[in-house]
Amino acid sequence: MRLSEIIDRLSLDVLTPASDVDSEVTGAYCGDLLSHVLAKAAAGDLWITIQHHANIVAVAQVTGLQAVLIVDGRSPNEETLTRAKDGGIILLGTSESAFIMAGRLHTLLAD
Amino acid sequence: MELIVADLHIHTCLSPCGELAMSPRAIVEAAVSKRIDAIAITDHNSVSMVDTVAQLALSAGLGFLYGMEMQTREDVHLLAYFNDSASCHRLADAIYSLLPNRPNEPLYFGDQVIVDADETIIGYEPKLLVNSLDLGFNEAVALVREYGGLPVPAHVDREAYGLMAQLGFVPEGVIFDLAETLTGVLPEGFGHAAAMCSSDAHQPEQIGRRTTIFKMKNASIHEMILASQGIDGRSVTCHIEERRTK
Repeated sequence: MRLSEIIDRLSLDVLTPASDVDSEVTGAYCGDLLSHVLAKAAAGDLWITIQHHANIVAVAQVTGLQAVLIVDGRSPNEETLTRAKDGGIILLGTSESAFIMAGRLHTLLAD
Repeated sequence: MELIVADLHIHTCLSPCGELAMSPRAIVEAAVSKRIDAIAITDHNSVSMVDTVAQLALSAGLGFLYGMEMQTREDVHLLAYFNDSASCHRLADAIYSLLPNRPNEPLYFGDQVIVDADETIIGYEPKLLVNSLDLGFNEAVALVREYGGLPVPAHVDREAYGLMAQLGFVPEGVIFDLAETLTGVLPEGFGHAAAMCSSDAHQPEQIGRRTTIFKMKNASIHEMILASQGIDGRSVTCHIEERRTK
């Protein structure tokens, strides 16, 4: 499913405006331990996390993720946003929890 | 120059995971019996016990650093060291409002006891101390320096609350003089930082199980920074006690 459609259906905030949201999302990975996400996430996944430290951008880049969904209404600082923009990583936000987002995304991707 | 055997990561009975046996007197006696020259008290997000231990440690002839183990928003543990009590307290006061208002529940987490030098209980910390500050890791490192302290990431190679596990790698642009490790060898990415070992003792018998031997002029954060750079013959060496197998 296209990321733009996921953003629309789940009413996600795009925290990095002017991002190219046309990429294809094939799965998702939930995790807040960055070392574990580095080992487990796969290209094409949407990463669902509460983390918003600037290191999430490099983790996304290294694992080939296009987008990171930051849940529970947590908001990244300028450094994280700038690195995401510079690195071409799309940051999304929602006030919902990881559980709710993962459940709804699972249903969407299974359709 | 002196060889200073230092154990700079010790909890007191104030830390809920620290045993009540970790009284100021017990800590100082254990350090002296283990032939340790300098200690630091590093309770979780609090400095309510540093002065009492400092008083006993200094009268026993030990070097003393005032410290705290902060827990950042990302669940990373960061040690902060100061030469003086006042600066250490100023940092602790500045971060107290960033600690969630969740009360400690002794039944589940253990007691957070403040005692005097005679082991008389003089208070309890009401907020749960083993909790994350509403403060990012990079900001916490900068804040420690702003208050005149030395930031040292704790047990960077430990699965729980260690920098490498929580954040994957050392954040770009964040530089350390020293970093604490369980093994004595730092993972990649710490640049010129020197490896440091300490006990992270929660029980008296754990004090000194891991130490750092500093060759430097005195137990102060400025000397530690010089030692980390190997200036004028100063040095930093990790020491890990061999475990008895039986």
